[in-house]
Amino acid sequence: MTDLSDFDAPKRPWLSLLIPILVVFGFGGFYLIINSNNTPDPIGDPTARTGTGGIKQGLVKGQTYYLFASEIELYPTNLENDPWDGGENGPDIRYRILWQGNKVFESEEKDDALIADWSGLSLDLEWGDLMGKTISPDEAIKAARIRYEKGGVVEIVVEDDDLTDDDDAGRAEIELDDLMIGKNEIKLKKTSINAVRRINLRALPHGSALKDLVELMK
Amino acid sequence: MSGPRILILASCGFLGIGLLAPTLTIEPRAGQFTWLVELWDEEATKPVTYSIFGAIRDLYLMNNFFLALVLGLFSILFPIFKLSLYWLVTDRHPNSGSVRSLLKWTDRLSKFSMVEVLFLALLILTVKTLPGGSEAKIEWGAYAFVTSAIGAMLIPLLAERPKK
Repeated sequence: MTDLSDFDAPKRPWLSLLIPILVVFGFGGFYLIINSNNTPDPIGDPTARTGTGGIKQGLVKGQTYYLFASEIELYPTNLENDPWDGGENGPDIRYRILWQGNKVFESEEKDDALIADWSGLSLDLEWGDLMGKTISPDEAIKAARIRYEKGGVVEIVVEDDDLTDDDDAGRAEIELDDLMIGKNEIKLKKTSINAVRRINLRALPHGSALKDLVELMK
Repeated sequence: MSGPRILILASCGFLGIGLLAPTLTIEPRAGQFTWLVELWDEEATKPVTYSIFGAIRDLYLMNNFFLALVLGLFSILFPIFKLSLYWLVTDRHPNSGSVRSLLKWTDRLSKFSMVEVLFLALLILTVKTLPGGSEAKIEWGAYAFVTSAIGAMLIPLLAERPKK
């Protein structure tokens, strides 16, 4: 048996080790270069994001809708141009929706805020419910249910909730003909009977697929 | 150029692409509460695609140094080292003395064949067993990575053994 020496081996064998490494980096670099123009970058970055934009659509006659204010902003002073709570505290905002002369929804109160927001969702869960309670969107959505008829109106009444007496912050009569599905921004001027600067009102079709409701609420 | 060397270079190419190409897309879900989670935290339920290199980088940035080290060791350094060693073996005369010691090393390494793929499979399995119906989808980068691992596994079979 003959043991050949390493005479025939390359003089600097460790240099040849670099060849596979260079090929790995070369192909990796090549992939990055050809992919640099294509977004998104897959390296740990989120991809396949879903768009939230959509075409605005008016209400359909005879259909029922969820209606709620996702955001209400008040002017810095009340109807008498005085501070809201008599001191440094902001107003405790609450609103209610009147439809056909009836109160059809009243929101929770948001303490000390000039801009108050509501998600339109609220769940009252017990610990035990987490084990198997089924929750329907209808149960979770906290909003007025109204039906659209041509010429119909709803009234949004905004109040500063006080311990002694609730103060009116303003009220806005909104024609349903003007509403679109999704977000509707209503801007109001300060007057002697109104201290509400802005109302973001959301109209969502009742009975829509869950996925559509989620998209509209964003 | 010999067959094993072509296979080594091909495996290196697939490895380079497999490390950086999209490997895994995770779609987080929260069971029947998914739609609520989407409303409260839109980002939480969006699909996220990772490459192997990106996953290691994110683990490192999230201070999971141990996991980043283990994953980096078995999915980047180990396959590169293995392919480099195979390249060195095929660079020598088959009967030379140093080849024998290198072959011992490659025999040891062959015991860890596909360990990088096993790690990837474990990662996918972990995500798939998460509650709430979270989904893990394998992307094409994973196939490039696995092709590289299979190629590396075949190299010793193709490589010429020293003649006695």
